[in-house]
Amino acid sequence: MKYRRNFLIIPLAIAFLAVAWIPGAQGIVIPQCPGDTNGDAIPDGPVPANQKCLHLGAGDGFVTMADGRPIYIFSFSNLTGVPPVMAMMEGELAANFPAPTIVLKEGDELYLSLTNVGMMIRPDLFDPHTVHYHGFPQASAAFDGVPDASISINMGSTLTYYYKNMEPGTYMFHCHVEATEHMQMGMLGNLYVKPAQDENPAMLALGSSRPAPVNKPFLGFAYNDEDGTTGFDREYPIQIGSFDPNFHDASWNVQPLPFANMRDLYPMLNGRGYPDTVVPGDLPAPAENGGKVSQKVSSLITAGAGERILLRISNLNVTNFYTLTALGLPMQVVGHGARQMRGPAQGANENIYHNTTTVTLGGGESVDVLVDTTGVPAGTYFLYATNLNFLSNDAEDFGGMMTEIVIN
Amino acid sequence: MKRTNVKCRGLSVSLSIALLVLSAAGAGAQADIPGIPGPVFGLTASAGHIDTPDGDSLLVWGYGVTGGPIGFQYPGPNLIVNQGDEVVITLTNSLPVPTSIVFPGHGKVTASAPEAAANGGVVQYRFTASHPGTYMYHSGTRPDLQVEMGLLGAIIVRPSGFDPALNRKAYGHAGSAYDHEYLFLLTEMDPRVHNLVDFGGLDLVDNTKHHTVLWFINGRNALDTMLMDFTPSKPHQPYSSMARMHPGEKVLMRIIGAGRELHPFHHHGNHAALIARDGRVLESSPGAGEPGFPDLATLDFTQQVLPGSTMDAIFGWTGKDLGWDIYGTGPGYEHTCNGLTVPSTGYDPATKEYCPDHGKALPVALPELQDLTFGGHWSGSPFLGFFGPLPPGQGGLNPNAGFFMMWHSHTERELVNNDIFPGGMMTMLIIEPPGVPIP
Repeated sequence: MKYRRNFLIIPLAIAFLAVAWIPGAQGIVIPQCPGDTNGDAIPDGPVPANQKCLHLGAGDGFVTMADGRPIYIFSFSNLTGVPPVMAMMEGELAANFPAPTIVLKEGDELYLSLTNVGMMIRPDLFDPHTVHYHGFPQASAAFDGVPDASISINMGSTLTYYYKNMEPGTYMFHCHVEATEHMQMGMLGNLYVKPAQDENPAMLALGSSRPAPVNKPFLGFAYNDEDGTTGFDREYPIQIGSFDPNFHDASWNVQPLPFANMRDLYPMLNGRGYPDTVVPGDLPAPAENGGKVSQKVSSLITAGAGERILLRISNLNVTNFYTLTALGLPMQVVGHGARQMRGPAQGANENIYHNTTTVTLGGGESVDVLVDTTGVPAGTYFLYATNLNFLSNDAEDFGGMMTEIVIN
Repeated sequence: MKRTNVKCRGLSVSLSIALLVLSAAGAGAQADIPGIPGPVFGLTASAGHIDTPDGDSLLVWGYGVTGGPIGFQYPGPNLIVNQGDEVVITLTNSLPVPTSIVFPGHGKVTASAPEAAANGGVVQYRFTASHPGTYMYHSGTRPDLQVEMGLLGAIIVRPSGFDPALNRKAYGHAGSAYDHEYLFLLTEMDPRVHNLVDFGGLDLVDNTKHHTVLWFINGRNALDTMLMDFTPSKPHQPYSSMARMHPGEKVLMRIIGAGRELHPFHHHGNHAALIARDGRVLESSPGAGEPGFPDLATLDFTQQVLPGSTMDAIFGWTGKDLGWDIYGTGPGYEHTCNGLTVPSTGYDPATKEYCPDHGKALPVALPELQDLTFGGHWSGSPFLGFFGPLPPGQGGLNPNAGFFMMWHSHTERELVNNDIFPGGMMTMLIIEPPGVPIP
């Protein structure tokens, strides 16, 4: 059918790239991870608890839209645990959308190795890639991932970024090379840092004072609030994104890319349009990438009655501002841009949170929204874009940027 | 000459940096937004062409200083007045259509006539600049067309007691103090509108078909945004938006949404404190939060810029908690922090190095040169003020080995110039090593 046109290119491309790589003119895959002796980015001996290693591959792949349409993407795959000699092969056509979620704790030192595995479907491209840890405070140019201002990694090689994470909050990450193209193509992911307060039993116990049916400790906090006001029982990263299928098809078909006419027709949460958003766990693997699962982040939100839900919402689409609402549920904005809503000179209990029914995010913005379900009847609620034209999967009129919040 | 010492020889870096900081402080060199002082202004609205990086030449209607050397300009001149000034603006209209100016955010504006008639009409406006802050002015006559055509500009009202050398504040609030100030005036264009007007099709302009393909900061598209102020190659687009600072300094970002679209303005490098919106400080009561930021200020890494709205934010950078020494470690990088070779608390008074990270080596090795692609603004070294090895022809756009941080619209489709990447609403901040003169 109409979506199968490029399928035969894959084996040819693999053969081409395999031949191209054998001479080893470029570097080799060497993730740097203290304590790791075999290059799989997993320490082989005791290491400090705050040392984290992650090995991401950057390349191409496929995802399936909620209307069944395959979409060619660039993005990241998780190669942690893969022996270095296998990393290039494991990374082939393995791109996920969204990229693998990165969850860190305050104080963590992250050794993030990025291997450029090349573009199987586009062997004519030799694009380097980077990781931009979006919002990282006090950033250095070297690890900021902006190609103009730093270094990007070429095909077949590995660049290890170092991030010491001292400020909790909701961030995001993406590739910054040819940003308009690589980001429209899908090199975007969730990233958040949990606060040190999560390790404080006295603070967690504040949750126990809540009336039944909850009366249990908090699972964690959004920030080091010192007053328990950002405590939650459930947390979900929700990343807003959207694709222009004409742009992706132009890339797939080696055509000029329509920058000026970019128009996103697939609005998504965590890389899926409704109703795929509420599928728990992975979506089925697309045939186009040889059967690799590529959409692993569900947006189904569930909570018990009376529980508090933290929504870590970020927006990394490249075309629009989007407004989200949780119809029938109270929304309280407790953080914005990976900072608690509290005046810089203020202390505990002097918060400037606001209660709302909508949050509006442009690209590169994040908000932390607490949904307190106390007194909310059990049932299924919807989190969706109030830009109602975006409740669609291209020509399908019921779908798009929407998911469900199920209160049991 | 002294800079060469910093870059090429690590020995005595701390000493030479200290000397340079002293000399720089003595010179009082700090960046100010270029503009014309008031409170009496003569502006002329006239037509002319600007060149855009996609190779186009667009008809623009712009304000210019009456009788001034630039003629029309895009955006109009930055008008700089003091709080309490009685501002008088005489507009002469050289356009073939009537025009006028509105001054959002200022009360009791009086006008000598509703409009300035086409082809030579004159109108005079008066108002009192009662509140300090960042404002804009733009056409009030058929503004959907005339603002698109370029009739807009910025007004900066200095607070009472402002002194360019001794009391640099955006507002009366002590938390609005800054070292350097920069303007980021965000606009868009649809070339078809400009071409229609250019070829006599004024009445054919259809705003329902507006399709932006050009995005500007201070009237320029990237990469022209990073050229210097009044560069000869941009005769009618005089304003740069390249920002520069040293570690430990405060940058005042005056941001104006002067077009019709919303833009998420993402400033790489660090969070900034949003201290004011639309010319009003985010304080619960006058002075609340002093000497720190206003008490209702919030820190963020992306500023949500709305059409017709202005924002003031304070940005700072020290590299605190990076976990490695930004001035390098080992042979060639010898320096002290707080006079010590070992870590200590606080910041070095001269270099602003975060001393707890002093002497900590870069935790990872960078790949071999053949594994990398290099940006023009990459010095070759991760360390501030140092150059490193680069293949022939690479780098070269970072003369002081600073850290370049991209400041741009995070609606990334706006980083193009009419289908050509890169471009659009993008500029850079340079964190320069201590001692590098700014401006």
